Amino acid sequence: MKEKKTGSKFAIIIILIIIGIVIGLLIAFASAVMIRKTSGEKFCTKCHTMKPMAEAYNHSVHGGANSKGVVVKCVECHLPHDSTMDYLITKAKTGSHDVYAETFYNLKKEDWEGKRKEREHFVYDSACLECHSDLKNATVSNMKAFLGHKAYFSGKTNKTCVSCHPHVGHKDLGDYLKNNK
Amino acid sequence: MLKKIMLSTLTASSLLLAANVGGLSSVKTLKVNRGLTKLAASCVECHAKKTPGIVNDWRESRHGHAGVSCLDCHGVQKDNPMAGQNCPGVKGTNVYISILVSPKTCERCHPQEVTEFEHSGHARAALQIKSKKSMQSLIHHYEGRDCPGLSEAPQSTGCAQCHGDIIKVNKGGEPTPQTWPNNGIGDVYPDGSVGNCTSCHSAHKFSIEEARKPAACASCHLGPDHPDIEIYNNSMHGHIFNSEGSKWNYSSAPDAWEPGDYRAPTCATCHMSGIGNLKSTHNVDLRLKWNLWAPISKLRNGGYETAASTYMKTGKVTKGNPLAGNPKGSTYARSQMKQVCSSCHSTTFTNNFFIMADKQVELYNVYGKDAKAMITTLKKKGLMKKDVWADAAFRIYFHLWHHEGRRMRQGAEMGGADYSHWHGVFVVQQDIRKLKSIYDRRMKTGKIGY
Repeated sequence: MKEKKTGSKFAIIIILIIIGIVIGLLIAFASAVMIRKTSGEKFCTKCHTMKPMAEAYNHSVHGGANSKGVVVKCVECHLPHDSTMDYLITKAKTGSHDVYAETFYNLKKEDWEGKRKEREHFVYDSACLECHSDLKNATVSNMKAFLGHKAYFSGKTNKTCVSCHPHVGHKDLGDYLKNNK
Repeated sequence: MLKKIMLSTLTASSLLLAANVGGLSSVKTLKVNRGLTKLAASCVECHAKKTPGIVNDWRESRHGHAGVSCLDCHGVQKDNPMAGQNCPGVKGTNVYISILVSPKTCERCHPQEVTEFEHSGHARAALQIKSKKSMQSLIHHYEGRDCPGLSEAPQSTGCAQCHGDIIKVNKGGEPTPQTWPNNGIGDVYPDGSVGNCTSCHSAHKFSIEEARKPAACASCHLGPDHPDIEIYNNSMHGHIFNSEGSKWNYSSAPDAWEPGDYRAPTCATCHMSGIGNLKSTHNVDLRLKWNLWAPISKLRNGGYETAASTYMKTGKVTKGNPLAGNPKGSTYARSQMKQVCSSCHSTTFTNNFFIMADKQVELYNVYGKDAKAMITTLKKKGLMKKDVWADAAFRIYFHLWHHEGRRMRQGAEMGGADYSHWHGVFVVQQDIRKLKSIYDRRMKTGKIGY
């Protein structure tokens, strides 16, 4: 009897663990789907606020206007790529801020053109370098890549990628912002 | 094939010809393939015919060697306020160009140089005179006589050529005649950036050798109010440069231009170069102890210059920080300058020189304060004309600090004896006597008189 009881207890624990794993997997799967679904232009521009950014993005090389049709998703620039933890925390923070702002701020009064001056705060070098990973290995055979990024890779400037490439990702954003007024 | 061979022979021979006449000939036929995109090459090739002087400069420049093309600097995005398509080669395409090239473009490859420059007094050159009401009224009202359309001329043909301007563009992105062309070092661009690299590294050669020679500074640092090139020529440094400077080496790598390349310093050596253990810098204030241009000389303990950074952040036009210097203070700045001297001079030589130079600056301050006190009293008592430029006392005071007083101070600190004395303190001494007699008469009679 005693043995049987231990056996059933054991079985319950196993079943619980399996259920736990399944639930865990489901949650992980759902999170993965959610993270994926909330990463691109379709989701990010659901709100009218992001219309000019989306239009400018669609005309840019990063938005797919290139010969190969490669598309870089919003979060692939606008979230840090240094660690998964940082990525998720920043995603949660900026995501919930956007929801809050969309609900409670008067976004029509926002100086969007002025906000572009703060681009260093919402575009991450770790994100750029995730794809442009060979840039730091540039040699004199590609003079412009080599000389142009020398100060950056040797740590002699605190400029970030978008300090010098202010238009990357959104072609003629200034015009779209003006027309949106 | 035959055509190709003939063409390349022709190109090679014309290049050879150009090389043999010291690079002065303007190339008219140019085919470039190496390192440039097709579009970028087409700019070079067409402009070799249209503006051969520019392409001639470019092909001799380091930019040309590094494959930096016309388009890399002049190409802009459509939403840039300076964007235009006035060139028939790009009209109707998705390529936009700008005649103006702002420091925002230069800093993409030269970020340190631009940041250092923005920290220096050079960066406030245009903003400072734009922010001062008295300067604006001098230029437009007194000099320009408020003549409609004409009163803009003094600023464009005079001030802006050294100080720079707040450049305005028309709808097609073309700069207005009132604000461009100019060589001013403090230019403010429609894209919000401040500064002008081509004031010292003239376009389109952008030569380090050129900027290391006194000529680069002399086009602005001259004349009755800051005769710095005259002071340099008067000094032993200038004496040596003028006798053998044409044989010196000006092309050493940045931070590696040292005695041996030259036998005496040029302006750039003392104020910017990485001589000995010093780091080279584009902040010309880092080694300065005094402000030697204001009515009263004060120590440069104000940190970095602020006019450019304020403008870039807020769009506000301010007079900046006249006491900008080394962020570690004026004593440290002087020690840096003495380190320059130590490459060629003993410590005693250097110390003795600066002890006496500083005394001359302090002596000027005695004159400056006395003169200022008289002007303040006259103003308070209503004994000054409303039109100060018609007032004899004010005019003497202005010349005392702005012309003679600067000559006295700058002459002393840079070894220009004639400027320290005959063009300097001697005239200051005469000025204050003239001012005192006017002051005494007005105080006695209670009338302005003539």
